[in-house]
Formats: sequence, structure tokens, C-alpha cells
Amino acid sequence: MIVGITIITVSILVNQVTKETFSKNNPGLDAVVGAKGSPLQLILSSIHHIDIPTGNISYQNARKIIKHPAIKSAIPISLGDNFQNFRIVGTNKSFLKLYKADLISGTAWSQPMQAVIGYNVSKITKLKINKFFVGSHGLIDTGDVHAEQPYKVVGILKKTGTILDNLILTSLDSVWNLHSVTNKDKLEITSLLLKYKNKTSSFSFPRLINRGTNMQVASPSFEISKLLKLTGNAHRIVDYLSVLIIILSLLGILFTLLNNINERKYDLAVLRTLGFSRWKLFSIILSEGMIISILGSTIGIIFGYIVYESMYYFSIVGRSLELGQLSFLNDLFLIWIIINIIAFMTCLVPCIKVYKQNIRSTLLNS
Amino acid sequence: MLICEDISFDIDGQKLFSNINLNLKPQKDLLITGPSGIGKTTLLSIICGIQKPTSGKITYNGIDLYNLPENKIDEFRGKNLGVVFQNFNLINTFTVKQNLEIAVSAINTKKSIPFFNLLDRVGLANKSHIKVANLSIGEKQRLAVARGFVGNPKWVFCDEPTSSLDDKNANIIANLIKEESLRCKASLVLITHDSRIQSLIKFSKILKLGDEL
Repeated sequence: MIVGITIITVSILVNQVTKETFSKNNPGLDAVVGAKGSPLQLILSSIHHIDIPTGNISYQNARKIIKHPAIKSAIPISLGDNFQNFRIVGTNKSFLKLYKADLISGTAWSQPMQAVIGYNVSKITKLKINKFFVGSHGLIDTGDVHAEQPYKVVGILKKTGTILDNLILTSLDSVWNLHSVTNKDKLEITSLLLKYKNKTSSFSFPRLINRGTNMQVASPSFEISKLLKLTGNAHRIVDYLSVLIIILSLLGILFTLLNNINERKYDLAVLRTLGFSRWKLFSIILSEGMIISILGSTIGIIFGYIVYESMYYFSIVGRSLELGQLSFLNDLFLIWIIINIIAFMTCLVPCIKVYKQNIRSTLLNS
Repeated sequence: MLICEDISFDIDGQKLFSNINLNLKPQKDLLITGPSGIGKTTLLSIICGIQKPTSGKITYNGIDLYNLPENKIDEFRGKNLGVVFQNFNLINTFTVKQNLEIAVSAINTKKSIPFFNLLDRVGLANKSHIKVANLSIGEKQRLAVARGFVGNPKWVFCDEPTSSLDDKNANIIANLIKEESLRCKASLVLITHDSRIQSLIKFSKILKLGDEL
């Protein structure tokens, strides 16, 4: 039972948190422009900072898009380095406004190689204002560092509950300087985060870019709903599996109790002769079954939560997931109640058997 | 006072016994005898509320036993009757002391029971933590007697308490039963086909199954 409920708890938590995280991480962006490739990969890497980018696009071309009349706002981002697996994002200060980010301490960057760090970054890496750190090549920590050009922490952001908490923000110039790109015509960024002036542009603008350039436009809402549909099926399979395990464990409780009372039927008959009423024995057997069920289901939920928390601390993907609302508690509580109601009904079978026991014939046959 | 009126019992349509009448005043002793298979143990089960008779009525101080709801019969037995079964009916996986404790927990008493004194009287004080499965027949019999008296019952029923014992142990058990029933001021009903018992305990009444009282 513990195993089944642990699996179902993790499944609920991950499902819930994934949905919440995907929705919180997107502060109303309509589209992302990036290098051609998988549109989902572009969305995951540019908004949710999970996957690797599809490639780079020319900053010159990006500037043309920024000036396009259909575009309300466009924020360039440049990825490529990390610090202790926290991604370093080259961008402009509009990125902070996009996420309505406030600073706990310090200021935003004003010159290259200055960085503002997210809440979780400061908590886990222990970086403080005016401390220096060096970025590593790539999006996961490989140890290959830019030792000659350290970043200086100039600001720490308040907790937002979004992906921003796990990012290190700096200017685009920092990223370009670090990678020794001096020719202005060869400047590149990873992607552009777009908001349209008019929602109707979501049909015409992607067609324009996708057909006429070597870039692509991907819609976050479309790609994420596609992803959730896919992962939803996987979650359903996991859920069916855990339901099967729970049913097996309830049957286990039933047969254990039946076997138990069969082995103890003589003892139970003796208890009746001593003055234990049928109802008293009925309630004792029921309590035994319900204690197993309540303990099993509660420990299962606690284990599930521990597994989820371990995932948060030990996996890089997990760092992008964060429990926000406690709405998942309702689902877990509902499951806990349903399992224990079924367990209660299951336990009634051996209890009724004990209730109907004929003590005289049991004692004679024993 | 215990009154049995016209107690009859049939097995598969065959009469085992019929129209048994008896009454037992407080603190009096009754011996029920008869050959094996005559229905002595069945009669004891009926009087104790374990087996419902085919017909007849049993009253304890005016309470009609089989008119009580089933749960109340069990509770009545636990609180008022002490039963020493022929095959002891002890819980073998429990220790000596646990067998007494479970009997006390059945009657929901708030009085503290001096287990040690009781075990001392039956000669099992130094075996209180030994499992019943490891006791000898004589020790099990003594424990069964101790358990029968643990709740200070008003009526005590003993089924063949000496038949499997040698003379020495039969004497010890018979004295023990007599002493404990005097201590509890209980009425004693003893069922046996063991002829030695009448020389060990003096009964106020004797019922030979099949004969009139």
C-alpha cells in the first residue's frame, strides 16, 4: 500500500507542479522567436529554462523583428553558460519588468559582468552582494569555467515562485564580451520573447517569419498544451499502475485479516467466553485493519512528498519545479479518504466473519 | 439465585436431555454428574450463555439470560460468571499473567486486580511471564482456575477440573476451587464424572443427569 500511494502521490505532485510551473513561468508571452528546430524545445529552453536551445539567431535580424509593427514588446535573451547549474541569462532590464521582479537588495546591472541573481540561486549558492563568481560553459556544470572574467553580484531578487528564482541575469554585453564577440554584425542571441500588439498577429506573424527567414516562431500556449497532453497520458498510465498496486495491497489487507482471524478463531472464541462481546471483537478486528490502512496511506503520502522534495533538491529539472498553491493537498486528501473508505469496507468482511462466529462449535472443533 | 426451568437440548432432532430443572441459592454448591456423553458439558455451556437451549429458561437473580441481547449475554458472563473449561481454553501464545489480564480487560473493571496474590494462591507466582504453551497440564489447570476467579464472579462453573489429574494434583485443584469460591462468596457448579471429587468437596446439591434432583 505504501508503494502504491507513494507513486500516486509523486504523480499528483509532479502533474500539479508541472502545470502550475508552466503557467507561472509564462508572464503572458505570445511567442518566442529562435533558431529553426523543435518549437517545443525552443519554448522549454527560452521560457522554462529546461531544455537546450535550438541554436542562435542573428541579433541584426532580431532587431528587425523588435521594430516590426505587429510587436508590442520583444525581449532578447542569450543563453550559454551556468553557475552551479543555474543558467546565466543575458538580457535587458525589460526582462525584470516582464516578471514584475523586485530586488531584496542591491540594484540591477549597469555595466557588463554585473549580475542579478534569483532568490533560489542566492539561497543555494550562498552568493551575496559584491561577491564574485565565474560562469561555466554550457547549461550544466561541467567545470569548464570562464576563470578570467568573473561576474559580480550587484542585486538579489525577491522570491517570485517562477523560473526567475533560478536564473542569473546579466546584460547581453556580458555574454558577448565573455565569448569575445566584438564584431557588431556577428552578434547573436538565443531567442526573442514576444508580445503582440494584437492577438490576430498570432496567425500572420509566425507564417511571415517561418517561411521567409531561417528563424521560427513558436507559441508557448500551443506547445505546452501539446506537451501536457503527452505527459498527461504518461501520468494516467502511472496512475492506473498505482491504483492497481493499491487494489492489490487492499486485497493483501483483506487476506491477511482473514488468515489472521482463521488462525486466531480459537483465541477469539476464548475471548467471547471471557466476556468480550461480538461488537467488541468486531471493533478490534476493524481497528487492526484500519490502523494498517491509515498508517500505510499516510506513510505513502509522506514518502511521496519526500521523493518529490528529493527530486527538487537533487535534480536540475526539479529545480525548475516549485510547489506554489497547496491545492494538491485537496487531491491527496481525497485519495487518502477514498482509500480508507475502501479499506473500511474491505475490513468489514473479516469483521462480519468474527461477528457470526459460533463460539461453542469453534471451541469444540479446536 | 440461579434458576433453570425445563431446559431441553436437541442435536439434529435427537433429544440430548430434556426438562432439567434446578435452582441454586447464593454461596451454595452444586455437583452435576453423569457418564460421559450424557450432555454435562453442553448443559454447562447452556447455563453459562454459550449455547442456547432448544427450550427452557435460565435466570440469574431474576435476569432471564437468553432474553438479553447477544452482546449483553457475553458481557453478563464476563462480569458475573467464572468458567473453568475442561480443556482450559487458555490462550497459548500469551503468558500466564497476560491470560489473567485479558480476562480482566473483558469485564472493563476499574478495580486493580492483585494478580500476584492470585497467582501466589494457585502456585504460579514464579511463572507469571512464562507462555502457557510451556506449562504442564497441572499448571494449566491451576491457571484456568485462577482465571475463573479473577473477576470475583458470583457464580463459578467448573467442567471436569480434576479428571485428567493424578490424586495429588486433583486434591490441590479441588481445594483451590473450594477456597477461591469461598473467598469470592460465589456459588459453585461443578460438572464431573470423576468419582473422587465428592470426597474432596462437600456439595449442598447433587444432580445426576437423567435422575431427578
